[in-house]
Amino acid sequence: MTKQEQVKAIFIEEAGEIIEKLDVDIIRFEENSSDFALLNEIFRGVHTLKGNANAFGFTRLGEFVHHFEDLLDYYRSTQEFIEEYNLELFVNSVDVIKEVMGCELDAIADLPQSYEECLAGIKKLLAMKKNGGDVLEPLPQEQMLNDLAAEFGLSCGEQLASSVDKAIEVFQTIQNGDLNLYKLELKLDEDCYARGFDHINFIKALGEGAQGIESFFDMQNIPSLEHFKSDVNKISSLFIVVLTTKIKSEIEEICEFLFDNEYAIVQIEKQSVPKQEQATLQSTEKTPLQPNLQQSAPQQATATEQSANAVKSTIRIDTMKLDELFDSVGELVIAQNFIAQNEKIRMIEDESIGRTIETLSKITKRIQDRVMSLRMVAIKDTFDKMKRVVRDTSKKTNKEIHLIVQGEETEIDKTMIDSLSDPLIHIIRNAIDHGLEANAQERTAAGKPTEGAVTLKAFHKSGSIVISVSDDGRGINKERVYQKAIERGIITGEENLSDSQIYSLIMQPGFSTAATISDLSGRGVGLDVVKTSIEKLRGKIEIESKEGVGTTFSMILPLTLAIIDGMLVRASEEIYIIPTLSVVESFRPEEEIVHMLKGKGEFVSLRGQHIPVVRLSDVFELQTKERLEPWEGILVCVETESGRIAVMVDELVGRQQVVIKSLGKSLAKLKEISGGAILGNGDIALILNVDELRPAIENANG
Amino acid sequence: MEFDGDVLTIDLGMSMEEIKGFEEFIRPRIEYIETIEIAEGGAFASSALLALLVSIKRTRPDIAIGFLDKAQHASPHYGTIHWKCHD
Repeated sequence: MTKQEQVKAIFIEEAGEIIEKLDVDIIRFEENSSDFALLNEIFRGVHTLKGNANAFGFTRLGEFVHHFEDLLDYYRSTQEFIEEYNLELFVNSVDVIKEVMGCELDAIADLPQSYEECLAGIKKLLAMKKNGGDVLEPLPQEQMLNDLAAEFGLSCGEQLASSVDKAIEVFQTIQNGDLNLYKLELKLDEDCYARGFDHINFIKALGEGAQGIESFFDMQNIPSLEHFKSDVNKISSLFIVVLTTKIKSEIEEICEFLFDNEYAIVQIEKQSVPKQEQATLQSTEKTPLQPNLQQSAPQQATATEQSANAVKSTIRIDTMKLDELFDSVGELVIAQNFIAQNEKIRMIEDESIGRTIETLSKITKRIQDRVMSLRMVAIKDTFDKMKRVVRDTSKKTNKEIHLIVQGEETEIDKTMIDSLSDPLIHIIRNAIDHGLEANAQERTAAGKPTEGAVTLKAFHKSGSIVISVSDDGRGINKERVYQKAIERGIITGEENLSDSQIYSLIMQPGFSTAATISDLSGRGVGLDVVKTSIEKLRGKIEIESKEGVGTTFSMILPLTLAIIDGMLVRASEEIYIIPTLSVVESFRPEEEIVHMLKGKGEFVSLRGQHIPVVRLSDVFELQTKERLEPWEGILVCVETESGRIAVMVDELVGRQQVVIKSLGKSLAKLKEISGGAILGNGDIALILNVDELRPAIENANG
Repeated sequence: MEFDGDVLTIDLGMSMEEIKGFEEFIRPRIEYIETIEIAEGGAFASSALLALLVSIKRTRPDIAIGFLDKAQHASPHYGTIHWKCHD
């Protein structure tokens, strides 16, 4: 690559980022058009884009952004009120910028029709403004925009974060000697009470012997009584700021029985406070658990200044390098496990070696967590883009939409973010176009508010990330889906399918119950692509629906693409890994619930459901001393595309996080295997692709 | 838990079983209760009670729960706890 090409590549990358930001900012500005600081930011982005576009000969883009910049400059300098219908021109201009950028990059001669229309609109508006004339009249078919500003104001999370920061500042001023300051975030799963955990107990445990403790509950997700159950936790998060003599390992010990995704501990660095000031502060300290919250003005100013001086420093790193680093850490984890589990090393009776291995284990875990966190980014940017999708779809369908966004601070693997946009856009469009009632009259007749609600939510659940899109629309007609699936030959009608599996049929290729096809959705080619995209990310989609109430699409994704949580099982002498995301339960069946159906193999009757038994030893043609009966082994019930199956294994070995390794070209042909992993003892275990286990047996049986 | 006219007084230190009982009690009566008061001197034994109170308020915003409106509670057992409901 020549120097010129390198610079051009940097321009393209930067231009992409600027346009992406413009896309989000313009919608934010549309919601609050009196935010001239934001308008300034948009102006700066457009200004940079203009300079770069002209420098690289993208003259058509350069000309457009030049006029758009003039218009933005007029409004930012006069701070004149911008009419709603003129805001539409701003939003369309950003669309044109995106399209023209694409044309420039691909050297496409023909520009989109909207280019000339929008450019003419900009010039006309600017001319009228400068000549003191009237503004453009709104087009008759234009709809009033939904007011989403209230939704996207300062969020509950932001308000809490601000309160937490204030508490930290106060505690920092009274921190002295051997006192340590921590910020903890607890995000307990819904089943925490059943598991014996309660937020209050953690606060009490942390408060023992503490100099001060303050806790902040985020209650924004608590539903009304209709959807509330006391023993199901709906508290989104709890922040605890504690000033204590406890060292970090003692704090970690309090949380040790929680899942990793349920808590985060941050030790706050001490602030250097002048001695004289410190002495004054110490004399005002209160009894334990009652920190002095009334600081004098100069002290508060000191804390604020110090906070302001702590400049946040960031650098850009090529994601390839991060991936390489991550791979190396994966190797390090394997090597560390090998040392920790090596029989010869374990036989050495030397305390110092034991301690060293333990320290190595802790450091490795810490490095692994840190490197993992480098790849994690908040899903906020992706959710921000969806606001635009909702806005546009709302206008196209003439449906009033109330968008609710929750959990946008949830972090997700960077490599997954890019692949998530398209599935999310499709599901949201589908929810608005087909999920919600056709018009306000239909909603009123159903006893619902005229405005449809779409909820976009991200949260952690049992070691996975869930991203859900819910609507309060018509719900899915289960019977219609079932009949349609039989008509299309997707199912025979003899299958024993759960509600969720019936709803999932709408994601089968070619399936569509939509009576009409719009340009948004309903072509029957979309949801299967969505499903495939999510499965490529090692995730799955679950659909819940209630007729007349609404539908929820939940995308359940692993925390990262490089590591999975797996259940280790043994069949014959081989160890296999079943991704725990697909495991429903495991059990040793009673003899009387196992049946043999002629021509169909073995089944187990579980709570009225007949589940086919798949012997792992048959799938992989393993040599066995004797053929065990199902009631002599263990059945692991897993959820697959075609319903539940019971995988028969000899033994459950354990559960652990494993680093996924690709198997190379020759083994990649084996559909029943999705990858491999190196275990702590150095052995290799294959990761099962549970969706392909039953077909493998059926094909073998002809 | 005491029910006097349209005022319900509850104890903060309810166990999970008691909270579930309270939830069952209030569901059919939510329209008749005007005020929920908290007996003085108590401390939370479970966060589920705080969540239930928020849920009640969300279901019937005009019900008076002065304790909840304060958005904070201090106790020697757990220091000061704050809550934000986004309402």
